[in-house]
Amino acid sequence: MTDWNAMTDEDFRREVHQFFESEYPEELRHLPHRPTFAEVEHWHRKLHAKGWVAPAWPAEYGGMGLSAAKLLIFYEEQQRWGVNRGRDMGVQMVGPLIIKFGTQTQKDYWLPRILSCEDIWCQGYSEPGAGSDLANLRTRAEIDGDDFVINGQKIWTTMAHDATHIFMLVRTDPDAPKKQQGISFILAPMDQPGVEVRTIRTLAGETEFCEVFFDGARTPRENLVGELNKGWTMAKALLSFERIFIGSPSLAQNALGQLESFARGRGAFNDPVFRDRFAQAALDVEDHAALYARYADQLKRGETLGADVSMLKIWVTECFQRITELMIEAAGPDGGTIGPLQVGNVSVDVLASFYKARPTTIYGGSNEIQRNILSKAVLGLPG
Amino acid sequence: MKQTEENTQDQEDLRLLRESARTLFDRAGGNDRARKLRDAGGRWSAGMITELAGAGVFGVAVPDENGGLGMGLAAAGVLAEEVGRVIAPEPIVATIGLTIGLLHRLCPDHGMLKKAIGGETVLATAWQERGPTGVAPGRSCRFAGGKLTGAKAWVSGAVGVEGYLVVAEGDDGAVLTYVEAGAAGLNVDGRRQADGSALGELSFSATPAELLAEGAAVEAALADAVSDTTALAAAELVGLSGRAFEIVLDYIKTREQFDKPIGAFQVIQHRATDLHVMQEVAQATVREALSWMDCAGTDAQARARLASRAKARAGVAAKKITRDAVQMHGAVGYTDEFDIGLFLNRALVLSAWLGDDTYHRRLWLDARDKEGAER
Ligand SMILES: Cc1cc2nc3c(=O)[nH]c(=O)nc-3n(C[C@H](O)[C@H](O)[C@H](O)COP(=O)(O)OP(=O)(O)OC[C@H]3O[C@@H](n4cnc5c(N)ncnc54)[C@H](O)[C@@H]3O)c2cc1C
Repeated sequence: MTDWNAMTDEDFRREVHQFFESEYPEELRHLPHRPTFAEVEHWHRKLHAKGWVAPAWPAEYGGMGLSAAKLLIFYEEQQRWGVNRGRDMGVQMVGPLIIKFGTQTQKDYWLPRILSCEDIWCQGYSEPGAGSDLANLRTRAEIDGDDFVINGQKIWTTMAHDATHIFMLVRTDPDAPKKQQGISFILAPMDQPGVEVRTIRTLAGETEFCEVFFDGARTPRENLVGELNKGWTMAKALLSFERIFIGSPSLAQNALGQLESFARGRGAFNDPVFRDRFAQAALDVEDHAALYARYADQLKRGETLGADVSMLKIWVTECFQRITELMIEAAGPDGGTIGPLQVGNVSVDVLASFYKARPTTIYGGSNEIQRNILSKAVLGLPG
Repeated sequence: MKQTEENTQDQEDLRLLRESARTLFDRAGGNDRARKLRDAGGRWSAGMITELAGAGVFGVAVPDENGGLGMGLAAAGVLAEEVGRVIAPEPIVATIGLTIGLLHRLCPDHGMLKKAIGGETVLATAWQERGPTGVAPGRSCRFAGGKLTGAKAWVSGAVGVEGYLVVAEGDDGAVLTYVEAGAAGLNVDGRRQADGSALGELSFSATPAELLAEGAAVEAALADAVSDTTALAAAELVGLSGRAFEIVLDYIKTREQFDKPIGAFQVIQHRATDLHVMQEVAQATVREALSWMDCAGTDAQARARLASRAKARAGVAAKKITRDAVQMHGAVGYTDEFDIGLFLNRALVLSAWLGDDTYHRRLWLDARDKEGAER
């Protein structure tokens, strides 16, 4: 097995870039929408064969075990080439949680299936009454023999219509004195009579998220991860994985690359005002990476991330939004046009990037909630 | 004293006009109508055109002697705001500002003006051309021997109209011509916009066209009509953002998280307040610009400057208000099921049309510099 971390940064970058350039399917570059697994399966097979599905996981679980610096390079090259993340909720979200809190049996069973995409995951946290106030969730799971029986509703479940499994927070003790107690973290199969999925159209006209209804759905008791009624603490740990992931420079880097080639084609770089705004955006991205590297290193050293990781998400998502707004500006009178805009030999879907950037300040803990966290937990402000 | 009385009367007229337009649009279904038409393929409603014409909408800024109501641009702005509130998909501002704006200035006696005011015909106006990096600075679409050759871009309302007013280059400068929708050698490519509408790319190869006007007057009328339309688009944006703000204000009063309405959180309160201030500034700016544009002493350059000021301010406000409104809705704001997304999408289109805020800030400063130099 290659020790990627022993390579020089330049060699590693070259190796990653070459792989993407020679193997990544052209038709999937800069995909403007979230793909179904079927659309990206051929690519996933190559990635899997190469052992590159989970760059951040430790090598013992089938990951690349990359250091923070190498991980950044990996993501940079991925974004630069317009490589789609694929269906990575398993790799990015459940995987790390199982690695941290799962039993050996759970690791042995689930992790390889995540890597091979035999199981495709979706995240069932939010409910109609439990968004920012996630602890308000009401979906019930009751023990019945060897199973949990699940009743209730999840919403905004990304790509649930194309998932085989859902990892979810459920209420297992409705009588607990505090809302945060009595919540458990369970894994459940989607393909069963008690689970119904309805897609929801976004304002961009895509169907990427869903409502999921549970009516007597079942999952074996061994699919409980961690202790019963202790799901909240674990989910918070997972949220910090999510935050560092959403806080990673990748989306903004990709958008910046698109902005640059689009704006060059449009001749926008002749304009001093645009130059300054582009430089601002470019430095916002580069300087964010400096902060990001600090947290990625902590994570690599096995340290738990503190509340301050929220900074990354606030910075990079808002930066991402500004970049996509600049793209629209550079598009001038074409700024309201749907679909790829051709300039010279590049084509950039300006609106798709804009739409993609909007909800990043909503999901993964809205930016308002992140600011609340920072002001209380980090700055120690009263209230 | 007389001045004040007149002003009060004008204000009262505008208030009545606003009320009747609002009633008309609300009865027709408000923004639900826009959603239905979009889902049905992005067309507009011919019935609505007739109804609006019946209410005098299209002739509102046309002088009485040319068959209009002679109420000026301020009144057209009132209507444009109401159009924005319900994000009506009909090309109302383009018709009032460009099509009728050109016809009544250049060929008031042509039968087409009467038909356009009466809603019997809807025409789209093609004046801009696409260059390699955006809007082409000059005009290369040629009119000679009764035929047009070349291309036009960003034609609002281009799909579904009976014909086009085309500004082209004749032997002695600009000409205004008319082309029927089905004319030989005409190709119309509708590019789908975020709000479901289409912007037309027109191409002509020896397409028969009727000459409506020529000479220096065409250039002057075009400049004036573009200024009017720009300012009216600003008014439409103001109406749109005003309504978007009302929607989000309602939402934050009712959506509960952490056992209280989210509008109880101070950060939400401050954000809502900022948007409100922004909206009020935009509305005041646009209304002021329109009424100054109505003043007899305002020359073409000053009108252009005022229009740019209005569009720059309204564009900034509408973009910010609709985007923040989506944010304050949370995930439901990102769905198509909630109305706020319709407003965000329409704002994208209206803001890009005729130039966004950065573009107009530049024009504004250029115009101001020029006027300063002349003074
Ligand atoms: C594209 C997309 C994909 C998603 N995918 C998933 C998924 O796969 N799985 C899943 O479980 N969830 C998913 N979500 C849901 C997401 O986690 C929630 O949208 C988020 O938690 C916010 O909840 P909400 O939408 O109910 O907004 P609300 O909580 O109702 O918030 C509305 C507004 O109020 C603000 N607000 C709320 N409370 C406060 C406060 N105390 N102080 C200040 N401001 C406050 C918010 O910041 C927001 O601006 C997704 C959402 C989106 C948009």
